[in-house]
Amino acid sequence: MPDGEPLDPKTQFRQLYDQEYHSVYRAIRSVVLESAAAEDLTQETFVRAYRARLRYTPTAPPGAWLRRIGINLAISHLRRQKLARFLPARLYVAPDRRDYDRAEARNVVEKALEALSPKLRAAVVLHYYEGLTREEIAEVLGVPAGTVASRIAKAVAIMRKTIGSDQQRETERSRSEGALRGR
Amino acid sequence: MKVPYVEDKTTRGGQSTPSETDVSRMIRAEVETWKSRRGPDWSDLMIRLTAAGPSPWVIYTTASAALVVILVTAYLVGSWLQIGALAQPINSHLH
Repeated sequence: MPDGEPLDPKTQFRQLYDQEYHSVYRAIRSVVLESAAAEDLTQETFVRAYRARLRYTPTAPPGAWLRRIGINLAISHLRRQKLARFLPARLYVAPDRRDYDRAEARNVVEKALEALSPKLRAAVVLHYYEGLTREEIAEVLGVPAGTVASRIAKAVAIMRKTIGSDQQRETERSRSEGALRGR
Repeated sequence: MKVPYVEDKTTRGGQSTPSETDVSRMIRAEVETWKSRRGPDWSDLMIRLTAAGPSPWVIYTTASAALVVILVTAYLVGSWLQIGALAQPINSHLH
């Protein structure tokens, strides 16, 4: 969050767009985990925000307001994708996940983030990357601060477990490879 | 609402399990790599705004107002022409 007066969406929307674009993108990407979908949803977030800018009330900073719109849009996008899987194969077009589905290229952290639910992912990214407090995240996600705290704790526990087991598997593999080479 | 207790102290990792500090560092490093390829594109935003048409609340309000006008008109026409159930005279002298 930059210091100084927050920008007013009613009169300074263009500046707000340039200033908040990347943080909104990251918040959305933490939910959908796809770069192309995240870019599209980020633009859609600003379209919705632009239309609603005159109804904006400064109860929360404009950045939190934008991220809230973005995260809600991203969660709806995932719901629609889930429902679309039930459509007949001809009607359902699978999303383009080329940049994400290269399982070999994905690192431990990506795999651990994928193990979390979208709501847990959003909470940990907002907390550990954006550095938001539980109260600020509560404003963004529209849930009580206690729920945010439990989501972060749950997410960290899952991630530690996933990363731990992944690293252990990796150690065992390199150990057995070393033993084979030693013969 | 009852929520589980959250430890404020960082948890230490085991032999292969990372600590909470490690996890937060890993998250920061990972998210740092998430860069939008296009970046902010104001002209695309304006195109989307014009292509999207009126907002849903405008559509809902207009549709509701139109429905009310249709119902009121139908009622007035029905009573003027004395047709339909609304125009039935009430028989108050039932024996």
